[in-house]
Amino acid sequence: MSDAPEPYVSKIDRRTALAWIGVVGAAAAVGAGVVVYGPIKGGEPVRRGYGTDPKLTKPEKAPWSRIMVPAQLQTAAILADFILPASGAAPAASTLGIPDFIDEWVSAPYPDQMGDRPVILNGLNALSAKVLKADATGRSAALKALQESTDPASQKFWKKFRKLTIGAYYTTDAGFKDIGYIGNVSRTSDPGPSPEVKAALEREFQKLGL
Amino acid sequence: MANDNYDVIIVGSGAGGGMSAYHLTKSGLKVLMLEAGRNYDPRVETPMFNTNAEAPLRGVGTPDKPFGFYDATVDGGWQVPNEPYVVAEGSEPFIWWRPRMLGGRTNHWGRIALRFGPLDFKPYSRDGLGYDWPISYDDLAPWYDKTEKLIGVSGAAPARNLLNTPDSPDGCLMPSAPPRAFEIFYERAFRKMGIPVIPMHGAVVTGQMEGRNTCLFATPCGRGCAIGANFQSTTVLLPPAMATGNLTITTNALVYQVDLGKAGKAKGVTYVDRKTGEHHSVTAKSVVLAAGSGETARILLNSKSSAFPNGLCNTHGMVGRYLMDSVGTGVTGQFPSMEGLPPTNDDGQGTQHTYVPWWGYEKQKELGFARGYHIEIGGGRHMPSMGMAGLLPDDETSVGDDLRAKLRNRFGSTIGFDGRGEMIPNDDCYCEIDPVAKDKWGIPVLRFHWKWGEHETNQAAHAVKTFLEVIDTLGGKPMGEVETEGRKAISKGGEMIHEIGTVRMGHNDTDSVVNQYGQSWAVPNLFVMDGAVMVSSPDKNPTLSILALAWRSADNMATLAKQGAL
Repeated sequence: MSDAPEPYVSKIDRRTALAWIGVVGAAAAVGAGVVVYGPIKGGEPVRRGYGTDPKLTKPEKAPWSRIMVPAQLQTAAILADFILPASGAAPAASTLGIPDFIDEWVSAPYPDQMGDRPVILNGLNALSAKVLKADATGRSAALKALQESTDPASQKFWKKFRKLTIGAYYTTDAGFKDIGYIGNVSRTSDPGPSPEVKAALEREFQKLGL
Repeated sequence: MANDNYDVIIVGSGAGGGMSAYHLTKSGLKVLMLEAGRNYDPRVETPMFNTNAEAPLRGVGTPDKPFGFYDATVDGGWQVPNEPYVVAEGSEPFIWWRPRMLGGRTNHWGRIALRFGPLDFKPYSRDGLGYDWPISYDDLAPWYDKTEKLIGVSGAAPARNLLNTPDSPDGCLMPSAPPRAFEIFYERAFRKMGIPVIPMHGAVVTGQMEGRNTCLFATPCGRGCAIGANFQSTTVLLPPAMATGNLTITTNALVYQVDLGKAGKAKGVTYVDRKTGEHHSVTAKSVVLAAGSGETARILLNSKSSAFPNGLCNTHGMVGRYLMDSVGTGVTGQFPSMEGLPPTNDDGQGTQHTYVPWWGYEKQKELGFARGYHIEIGGGRHMPSMGMAGLLPDDETSVGDDLRAKLRNRFGSTIGFDGRGEMIPNDDCYCEIDPVAKDKWGIPVLRFHWKWGEHETNQAAHAVKTFLEVIDTLGGKPMGEVETEGRKAISKGGEMIHEIGTVRMGHNDTDSVVNQYGQSWAVPNLFVMDGAVMVSSPDKNPTLSILALAWRSADNMATLAKQGAL
């Protein structure tokens, strides 16, 4: 299909990829630094968490095996880019590896994430049939229908997936730029808000009668 | 180590243990410190400037790291592997936060360093509830001065003379960074309500201080601080204590018993090595327990002998009693007036720059509860987290540029109001040894009992009402469901991580376990120097007072040692 979106290629780093290959025996390295990986075939999946004393200064990648299959990853990419497509200097969600993060999330051995797992995977499975082989019009209609859905299962999936996408996107450097977060830099002092900000607050105080 | 002649064994390395080690080693005493957790060095282990995207699951809290991946806490949280505790059947919920690391909870604490006030030491005299301390504010004030100057505290301001909200003398505090946009904003509402907003006292070095680095005004204090600009026992107290040559630290040493010698004196302690499972006994001329209120009580209750069949110092059944926490409750608001402000760096100095001290001391009768709460208020354009979608209403479904614009507009427009209030000790809140449950090494564990009193639940309801009024005054709307009924709005017991008071101080051995210097009435060379000795639980967060009390007690202990009285 000429209007098919570019296939999603995982953004995990090569070191992690090699580790996963060792673990799951199912991933295939695609050039340097990226990998497309498939479902677990052979070997025992890793289900442990990072423990109560992980290294914090240079965190290691989450140790648990990933469970999403290629169709789920491709669908996640399409849906993430529907929520946050590229805009000006801001990249699309898929180029920031958001589908990989969704995989990391739903694969995690912790209660909250395990609770999200069926919601996300069932939702992706249901959506994949409507978007992966559809033309652009059909795909757009399916995504729009999900956004406006009123049935509880679809709505739950939509809200959860959107929430994860937004969180994952805006925690990246690109997300910081897009939303205007300018902290996390060393300073010799904290000068407080600018005159411009103070003036804006004063205008608001007048409106509020304060 | 076993053959060394120690003057003092200190159990615990947090605020109480760290401060007592600091003073006792500087006084020339040979000290062995036993810490249940592993060695920990904030200089090389603190994730300064790491972003959430670098962490598994973008840094969200998990059972392994309940306060988030980057929280400094090691091997702990609401549960510690292999070290269970029990909440009694029929009890209200109680949760117990424990780390297993050198420096204890001083590594991740909130750095809010408020002094207790004069009324806080004599609550019974004021309203007939609870108990008076055997000391007054004036007894502790010089030690607050010394502590603030040693650990580095911000919040200097002209004296305001507010009731029961002590001003520190000149020279004790450093200036806070200026109020941020959201702090300027909320102040206006409180001003209209006649409620003061004043600089927070935060254990962060915000100016020039000899021997210390100044805050970088970035990266959260709860991760710890690699440059030692905030207060941690591991960066401020233990290094100078080590430099005296008088301090030996043994980590992974879980003390479970004080050993009695001849003439009813403590001869040392016994611990299990958490890594090897081996049990060791060590001796010294005196023992200081500073393991945290729960663990300190547990050690005493597990130290049974013919002289103390119900636990050491527990002849009158007071060990474990008068367990207290702070009253916690909170509401977050979203404010259209804060939307769309120009980008500002709101990382700040780690603690809040300003706060609201309790203002209702003279209105207690009409309020329907005794005592009060201060308000800790958070907001601003902080590093985005997985909670970013929470900026938007739950039924909001936008995508693309519309979504981007809405998030950009709302970023920094929410403000959270949290009450931290006084709890009056009651007979339903205590800990004891569970008759059945044991830890991995077969040591009996604590069983907690908890029930908030009406003063506390009424206070929580008042706090919620106040927060809603402030949010409305500022043209905002509360976010999420707001619980206005006090018993539902109040925090769980222990949830504020201010559990104190299980080995309280007093006037004699019938009203207390230790004297005003933490010296036990029953065993004269056994001391307690953590929050366990506290008689009441004022709204002010306890760490600064634990430090000041420990210093005062350690000074008395050093004097006794020099006199040969131990």
